[in-house]
Amino acid sequence: MINFEEELKRFKPIPEVNQAEEAIYSNDLKDISDIVMQMTSDLREAEMSNINRIQSRVRR
Amino acid sequence: MAVTRPVLCPICGERVLKTGYCSGCGMHIDVARKAHNTSNYHYNIGYDKAVARDLSGAIESLKLSLRYNKKNVMTRNLLGLIYYEMGEVVEAISHFVMSINYEDSNNIASKYLKELKKDPSRLAFVDQMTKKYNIALGYAESGDYDLAIIQLKNVLGENPHFVKGYLLLALIYIHSENYEKAGTTLRRVLKIDKANPQAIRYLHEMGHTDENIMLMSKESIEDDGLLDDVYMEELAITSGGGLQSESENDKSNIFKEFKKTKLDSTVKLGEYGEVSLARYSGAYVLLGLVIGILLLFFVIVPAQKKKIRSDNEELLKSYSEELATKNTTITELNEQIAALNIKVEELENKATMEDNSVPDYSNVKTGMSEDDIRAMIENE
Repeated sequence: MINFEEELKRFKPIPEVNQAEEAIYSNDLKDISDIVMQMTSDLREAEMSNINRIQSRVRR
Repeated sequence: MAVTRPVLCPICGERVLKTGYCSGCGMHIDVARKAHNTSNYHYNIGYDKAVARDLSGAIESLKLSLRYNKKNVMTRNLLGLIYYEMGEVVEAISHFVMSINYEDSNNIASKYLKELKKDPSRLAFVDQMTKKYNIALGYAESGDYDLAIIQLKNVLGENPHFVKGYLLLALIYIHSENYEKAGTTLRRVLKIDKANPQAIRYLHEMGHTDENIMLMSKESIEDDGLLDDVYMEELAITSGGGLQSESENDKSNIFKEFKKTKLDSTVKLGEYGEVSLARYSGAYVLLGLVIGILLLFFVIVPAQKKKIRSDNEELLKSYSEELATKNTTITELNEQIAALNIKVEELENKATMEDNSVPDYSNVKTGMSEDDIRAMIENE
């Protein structure tokens, strides 16, 4: 059975013309290359921090 | 000697190193190519679905395509077109803008945007429609279902491809247990978007089978009258849903009876669809009567009263003048009577005085005898 209240919650106000800018920004999603690059840069940072930690230990 | 061209990264356009990694973004060329191919694959699926008028399915596929390559201009453009077809113009514009942002030259999205910018009244109209839909949604959330239906019908009359509007209207009809209208509304959705999952779910809940739904989507929507009978229908719409107070129930019963008598009459107005205005003839008659009564009470009756009052005043004035004239005449006549009385008295006095002063001639004898006088008369 359809729950009217629950169904009604699925309907969201649609953006007006003066809110088009917000709609454009909200549509600028992350694709798989963004995610891979993010992961790569995270790994690089983690690697660099590890290297720095090891180097500081060696200096001691 | 053949010159080997450097391999460029499909993501950032920088040179790819011999190791297979891009010198710019650091992405491996195989991963980038795989992502692009998958994006194109989903674009193709989305395109096929759009051609088959499965717009919701096409949107899903195209969104998936963008997940693999957000710079896929073809996907952006098709997604924008589908949103435009479904009446969501702002969403369409946003995808066209993004598309132009990624590829400025030879992009059909710039033509679409130019078309939209060329006609500012169209944008204003879209803005109005959007506002009306949002207002209708607000009405539905606050329980003013009849107002929401009127507003939605207004929106759908102006933009008959607005799928979200139809879905909201169908939901309200279902809540009001007006399943016939809900079915008609959902059939319109299926005409625009053949496999709209929300519409199909609602139809399943209403007890329709898949075969039924298939047949419904093939039926004509030309003369379903969904957007024709605006006023009377809306007042009677909430009759079965138990959503109203007793007075509202009475009101809807009156309109139901009115509708029934209208349908039972021998001359079924608008049966052949030539005059759709005939559907509101009852309302027009009532409206005419009300206007007539108001006109009578506020215009004709006061004017008549004023006229009668002025006539009475005129009459009173003429009577007063006549009375004054007659009074003057009476006074003059009284004065004349008094004067005449005085004169009569004077004359009487005078006569009395003269009687007293005349000498007595009774003893004086005339020279002629009675025989002489008689003889003289006979002679003559």
